[in-house]
Amino acid sequence: MILPRLDPLTKKKFARFARIRRGWWSAVILTAAIVMSFFAELFVSNRALVVRHEGRWSFPAYGAIRPGTEFGQDYQYETNYRRLKKTFEEAGRGDFVLLPPVPYNAYENDLPEGVYPPTAPDFSSRHFLGTDTSGRDVLARLIYGFRTAIIFSLLLLLCNYVVGISIGCAMGYYGGAFDMFFQRLIEIWSNVPFLYVIIIVASIMVPNFFSLIFIMMFFGWMGMTWYMRTATYKQKIREYVQAARAAGAHDSYIIFRHILPNTISVIVTFIPFSVSGGIVALTSLDYLGFGLPPPTPSWGELLRQGTNRLDSIWMAASVVASMIALLTMVTFVGEAVREAFDPRRHTVYE
Amino acid sequence: MRTLMLALLLASPAAAQSPHWEKATLPADIKWQTNDTDAVFADPKAKKGGTLNTFEVSFPLTLRTIGPDSNGSFRTYLNANHTELTYFHPNTRRVIPGLATHWAYGADQKTIYFKIHPKAVWSDGQPVVSMDYAFGLEMMRSKAIVAPWYNEHYEKKFDKILVFDDKTFAIRSRDRHNHFDLHYVLAEGFHPRSSRFHKLDENWVRDVNWKIEPNTGPYQISRLDKGKEIVFERKKDWWAADLKYFKNRYNVDRIVATVIRDQNIAFEHFKKGQLDGFTLTIPQYWHDKAKGDIFDKGYVHKLWFYEGRPKPEFGMWMNMDVPLFKDRDVRLGFQHAMNVEKVLSTVLRGDYERLNSSSEGYGKGTNRDIKARPFDLKKADEHLTKAGWGKRGPDGIRVKDGRRLSARVTYGNASHNERVVVLKEEAKKAGIELTLQLLDSAASFKTMLEKNHEIAYSGWGAQQQPEYWGQYHGVNAHKPQTNNFSNTDDPELNKDIDAWRAEFDEDKKNELARRIQKRIWDIAAFIPTYKTPYWRIGYWRWVKWPTPPGTRTSDDPIAYFLKESSAWDGLYWIDEDAKKETLAAMKSGKTFPAVTVVDKTYREN
Repeated sequence: MILPRLDPLTKKKFARFARIRRGWWSAVILTAAIVMSFFAELFVSNRALVVRHEGRWSFPAYGAIRPGTEFGQDYQYETNYRRLKKTFEEAGRGDFVLLPPVPYNAYENDLPEGVYPPTAPDFSSRHFLGTDTSGRDVLARLIYGFRTAIIFSLLLLLCNYVVGISIGCAMGYYGGAFDMFFQRLIEIWSNVPFLYVIIIVASIMVPNFFSLIFIMMFFGWMGMTWYMRTATYKQKIREYVQAARAAGAHDSYIIFRHILPNTISVIVTFIPFSVSGGIVALTSLDYLGFGLPPPTPSWGELLRQGTNRLDSIWMAASVVASMIALLTMVTFVGEAVREAFDPRRHTVYE
Repeated sequence: MRTLMLALLLASPAAAQSPHWEKATLPADIKWQTNDTDAVFADPKAKKGGTLNTFEVSFPLTLRTIGPDSNGSFRTYLNANHTELTYFHPNTRRVIPGLATHWAYGADQKTIYFKIHPKAVWSDGQPVVSMDYAFGLEMMRSKAIVAPWYNEHYEKKFDKILVFDDKTFAIRSRDRHNHFDLHYVLAEGFHPRSSRFHKLDENWVRDVNWKIEPNTGPYQISRLDKGKEIVFERKKDWWAADLKYFKNRYNVDRIVATVIRDQNIAFEHFKKGQLDGFTLTIPQYWHDKAKGDIFDKGYVHKLWFYEGRPKPEFGMWMNMDVPLFKDRDVRLGFQHAMNVEKVLSTVLRGDYERLNSSSEGYGKGTNRDIKARPFDLKKADEHLTKAGWGKRGPDGIRVKDGRRLSARVTYGNASHNERVVVLKEEAKKAGIELTLQLLDSAASFKTMLEKNHEIAYSGWGAQQQPEYWGQYHGVNAHKPQTNNFSNTDDPELNKDIDAWRAEFDEDKKNELARRIQKRIWDIAAFIPTYKTPYWRIGYWRWVKWPTPPGTRTSDDPIAYFLKESSAWDGLYWIDEDAKKETLAAMKSGKTFPAVTVVDKTYREN
């Protein structure tokens, strides 16, 4: 797909966005966090980054699991690199293991003898935010939970927008009976109580990542249609659209080449809020127990554990703090985008 | 006077045709039995007197034991004060006398005869007579009580009361039963009712809602402060007070149950000495909350008591209709790949114990040779390799013909998450992937009933008799809406279960039960998980207990300061001198040695 070349006006909008410091830095931090979360295995994982064993180097962070036997241990299952590190150090033969800063993954239960989960934050065991009620590292669950939530939210946004924008545009562009039909359909559809549907569906089948996206898209695509419909109506009667039509351009060319680029400000303004909406929706579903199945790392599930165990405050506190930070930043970005793309600053009526 | 009334009643034509009872003559060949040879379980050192302060989280909605809103925890205390005809001895489980001095069994296996104790009286002073039982059945079948379940139960299980004279009667059932079941089904929980008190009309529910019903037990409600507290007073001249199995029990003069709506607040009351005891069974209470001065200075003692009651059957059932689990070696591999031990020792803080078989706590009917298979990667590997699952894929999960060794675990309680995730992580070591399907409890139960599960992680409540037929008989396999979650269908087992159901002889029945358990173990589709064979309490040092502090079937005596039917205790007493001494010591700062008693007298295995 060839991206439409940015016209000077759009360039100006981005420049303006960059000047709104709060939003700009939030966007930078968020982007960095998202990108880093894609490589979370390098920072938070029970797998070592580098192992040198009898002169051989290996990099087990990605790829197939390596059974303990590969490093001279006596078990068939995946190597316990934390133990391996100790073993190597004790042996003192120059073998070494380089672990990530947080040497736990989001699923494993770190349950040492005589200590009962949840355990408080502790730097010596590198549980920087403590463990949850089954001994899993809270920081690891938080980071992988963030990755899940953000990917979920972005994918959901993409699906919602593809459907919402197409239908909205078509409604605006074709108008008439088509428009009328979809208007009524959407009105009815948006009155279906979404949460109940999810609860009913989740109680008869366990939703997985994609089925949950599908269900939520099924009831979430309507939001964008109204805005796109209006925006399209507005553009449709503009002279350049009339001109294109007079020149014999067909509908899809007009919609994609002329109308969509000119409604981009509407879309862009909504994106940050849709992202935060997606995250909140997933978290609350997980909190209620109707979201992604356990043991998927998720903020909602962690929050539920935390609220049940307020005496172990590190669980609830971690999630609440992360949630506040994330949503605040997304809102800052949203604000900045809305201001930067405010049509009143750019549009010149002729 | 009473006899005259009875005679009049018997003479009237309506009564003669009553569906609930009939006048009969006692068969000549009847063999009366009693039991005064089993050991007493109360302590002769027990002193009478004092007040036990306890709490309830809510005020009862009614004082009725039947009808709308009566099914609350408070009913336990009301029922506890209706003396049963017979009891099961809490240690030997043999029948001991209660309101009946003697009993006998009919040759038809449907009838059980009773002789009412000559001294037995109601709390209103009237003697207990056979017709009170006849009226009891009539009442339980009456529409006036607005209790359809009980109406049906007493219609289906009971046929008639046979009245021989004022003090002799029989209960006839519709089905045949062995001797144990005649007591269990017909006598236990079936109480006489006073026709002087109950008028069975459409106003009954409202009329008796807050009325104190005459009873035959050791206590009667003496005061009722609605929404706040209920006081039980000991009957000073209770008719059964000196009988062998009642002597030295029900020692406190008064039991005051105050309404405290929150556990945590109640615990604070307890720490101040306003409550005499508190249940500490939950790990958080026992380990974390029950700490501090009053415990260290010996004012409050802790008791961890192991009982020997039937255990609820918690475990995982592999559905043998799923192709994967048709292979016994796969099932054995799974048995050895579930690290239940780790769940118990970590997330459950070592407080729960491994359940060993499908029916524990049934005395001689439990096969003690059966032990749950331990987590053992080597054995798991052996069995799985034998079944063709020797190779591991790149993610460490075993593969066979392109299929991964993965099974879905269905469960219905989010609070079990922390247990199943440990099982899942540990199973990976054995090359098994467990996917977790958490549904809401109703949906999960339905999934299992419909046999749409691969592995059911669930549990069955304990009953007086194990449910072999429902859970393991082939009749209930391969079809929805039955409790046979493993779809066990084994001809040998079916035969034994049928024989067990038909057997009336206790010893033979127990032997069959043990064989059934062995066979279930051999089939290996049930992975037993855990049990909590104990209760834990804290109590102020003036509350005294016999040695040992409970019986085999004792329930938590704080939560159930009076307990209905067979597990009914009332063994504790309050030492007023010790109370004065303790209160004085707390003022002066004197301390006593800290006491934590762990009693394993009745611990099984």
